[in-house]
Amino acid sequence: MKDNWIKKHIYDIAAYAGLLVTLILFFVFSRNRLLYNATTVIQTAAPYAVLSLGAVFVYSMGFMDVSVGQQVGVYAILIILISNALGGTTFGVFVGFLVVLAIALLCGAFNGAVAVWLGLPSIVTSLFLMFFFTGAQYLLMESTGINSISIQAAIKPSDRNIYTLLLIAVVALTALVVFYLFKFTKLGKYTRAIGANEKTAVQAGVNTTKWKVYAYMAFGATVALGAFLMLTRTGSAGKGTGSGYAMDIMICLILGGMPLSGGMLSKAGSALIGTFTYILLTNDLTTMGVSLNTINFVKAVIFIIIILVTCRKQTNLLPR
Amino acid sequence: MEKELLVEVRNMSKNFGPTKALKQVNMKFYRGEIRGLIGENGSGKSTVTSIIAGMQQPTSGEMFFKGKAWKPQNMVDAQKQGISMVLQEANTIPDCTVAENLMAGRFDEFSRFGFINAKKMNEEADRMLESFGITNIHACDSINQYAFEDRKLIEIVRCVSEETEVFVVDETTTALSLEGREILYKLIHKLKDQGKCVIFISHDMDEILAQCTDLTVLRDGDIIGHLDRAEMDKPNAVQKIRYMMVGREIGEAYYREDYDSSHSGEAALLIQDISFGPIRHFSLELHKGEIIGFGGLSGCGMHEIGRAAFGLEKLESGSVIRNGKTIKTPLQAITEGIGYISKNRDTEALILEGSIQENIVLPLLPEMSRRTFISPSEERKRSDREIDAFRIKCNHGKQWVNTLSGGNKQKVSFAKWTAKGSEVLIMDCPTRGVDIGVKQAMYALIARMKKEGKAILLISEEMAELIGMADKIIIMKDFVKTGEVMRSADLKETDMIEYMI
Repeated sequence: MKDNWIKKHIYDIAAYAGLLVTLILFFVFSRNRLLYNATTVIQTAAPYAVLSLGAVFVYSMGFMDVSVGQQVGVYAILIILISNALGGTTFGVFVGFLVVLAIALLCGAFNGAVAVWLGLPSIVTSLFLMFFFTGAQYLLMESTGINSISIQAAIKPSDRNIYTLLLIAVVALTALVVFYLFKFTKLGKYTRAIGANEKTAVQAGVNTTKWKVYAYMAFGATVALGAFLMLTRTGSAGKGTGSGYAMDIMICLILGGMPLSGGMLSKAGSALIGTFTYILLTNDLTTMGVSLNTINFVKAVIFIIIILVTCRKQTNLLPR
Repeated sequence: MEKELLVEVRNMSKNFGPTKALKQVNMKFYRGEIRGLIGENGSGKSTVTSIIAGMQQPTSGEMFFKGKAWKPQNMVDAQKQGISMVLQEANTIPDCTVAENLMAGRFDEFSRFGFINAKKMNEEADRMLESFGITNIHACDSINQYAFEDRKLIEIVRCVSEETEVFVVDETTTALSLEGREILYKLIHKLKDQGKCVIFISHDMDEILAQCTDLTVLRDGDIIGHLDRAEMDKPNAVQKIRYMMVGREIGEAYYREDYDSSHSGEAALLIQDISFGPIRHFSLELHKGEIIGFGGLSGCGMHEIGRAAFGLEKLESGSVIRNGKTIKTPLQAITEGIGYISKNRDTEALILEGSIQENIVLPLLPEMSRRTFISPSEERKRSDREIDAFRIKCNHGKQWVNTLSGGNKQKVSFAKWTAKGSEVLIMDCPTRGVDIGVKQAMYALIARMKKEGKAILLISEEMAELIGMADKIIIMKDFVKTGEVMRSADLKETDMIEYMI
């Protein structure tokens, strides 16, 4: 029985252990710069947290999305272009965000629906979107004629602490909504059922096409929000903005204990735990004096260890 | 004639955590016998044989094979030394050819300089299949094009070679078609005549009595008793064996006892002239309080009709109608009060890696959702009610379904639809791989459902079950309805077989 409990909770145990270790290291190495460091971690983590929270719906179905990074890039650029065109006003930013949100929802619907209609693995449609948005990002930046554009409107409170608190509020609110949807509504229950056994879900009366689309749209909404949060921090965007986000999110979720195959063990908490583990890890390594060039190697090693630990399930098989 | 001892098991125990699957078991297997092992799910029959076949290690105890200590490293090792086993679950490698499956692990014999001589391998594989009397399977075909039943035969061919001394068949026959069973029966009798030993595990009492030379009954990890052929031929043998298996009198009430096939005139489900795939113009009217049985060989089209009635098949023409509404998707079917129990319990009917509760409430979620909110306490209440009603053996509703025994899993898939209050139930092989205690309970449940006015479509490969339960039996062959018989006390299997073959 005890053995079973460990097997069933292996993801959680590994995830919490990871967070604990990075957190301890964080306290040890931050020393007198603790508060400043903490705000930095929160500012860096906020967009990742929001994106990962939305991605939970997609990953719990056993699917993934590789187009997030390029979407984030394009959305950031679009918000800048639209708000600047509208005179750099808050209203302009608002309009820009709405436009981006609409596009993101549309892409989500596209991602879910096309994968179902054409019977393709969803990663293929997201690959298509990735290339599409890479092209769009390029064209948009070419049209401006410069490498990087900045937003004119003031979207970031000048007080560092207020800004941090705002970010915490946004992440907390997103988390609440996602937790609710994932734990207490059909959306979360159906996406997990689809991940665990799609045939059973269909035979239990789940319209899988519809719910796949909804799940991707929910993710889309957080992609738009995540892009905006990222923009508040940087204030500018360019050709490279957002690149690598898709993989970072995947790593966050895995570090947070999300099984790659989705299913009933998927938890919304994975997003938060994983994101903070990941960001803290980077922060720890930096404060420990590991050079920027070697950080990626260290991350790679840690990542493979986590994978080895969590994938040793009963079957000794990798998640599908 | 003194029988020669082939395998001996001494004081063997096997524990899975606190569960004692085997308790100090002693067994002897002799040359020239077909030894049946019978017992309810979880009685330890698969455990003891899988240890003999090298699939797992005992917690304690010894084994001897041909007089020497027997410690197989794994199943391949055991098979090379002469003990092989066909498992309950499908065990073929998808996306490969039949020959590649048959020769898995033996590629070296057909290779030169690292290249496989496919022609030679295919010829050898065809020869092997032929020697078993299998003519409809071809070595160079992809394994994917064969149905589950045929793949099982391929597994059998892979397991048995000239070196095989002990052949373990673990509940394989439920997965075989009627022709496949004949092939398997012929094979085990041939092995017996060659002085080898066959260990035959089955839930099917008739099959055990017809095929085995000796029988051992297990219960809760203990050996309850042995019967030889003479004892098995005694008239009260079936009652005696059942008593030994269950440990209590199971009573005569097994199938339905009444022969009252009356039902309401009100139609519960209409299948009107449907055509899809190889099925052409099939019609059926199911009434409230009626049990219609569907019989035939697997692959006769009866399973497909069941799927179509639940909206799982895309119809080319015709329609399935309930309450005046056309059923095109499972969602519509469920909304109109239809439930479907798939014959593929582990791959379609249940989420194995999910809790009992999650499985039971899955079809209920839309009605439980109040302004998007689904109350966890209500989920628990609804599922616990079913767990109690069905007496599902578990610690709590959060337990995963894959930790349950076959019979309890099947109870979960029944529970989904009783919880939902479905008025029409389509059951595809509902008692497959379920032991008699649970079977009895399910038959009682089906009989009660009829009395409550529910309409039931019972698709089954077991003719005894259809005769025992259905008001009307429709027999199919090659996707066409070939016969129809009504419930009566003197209906016999032979009355139906002529329509099937």
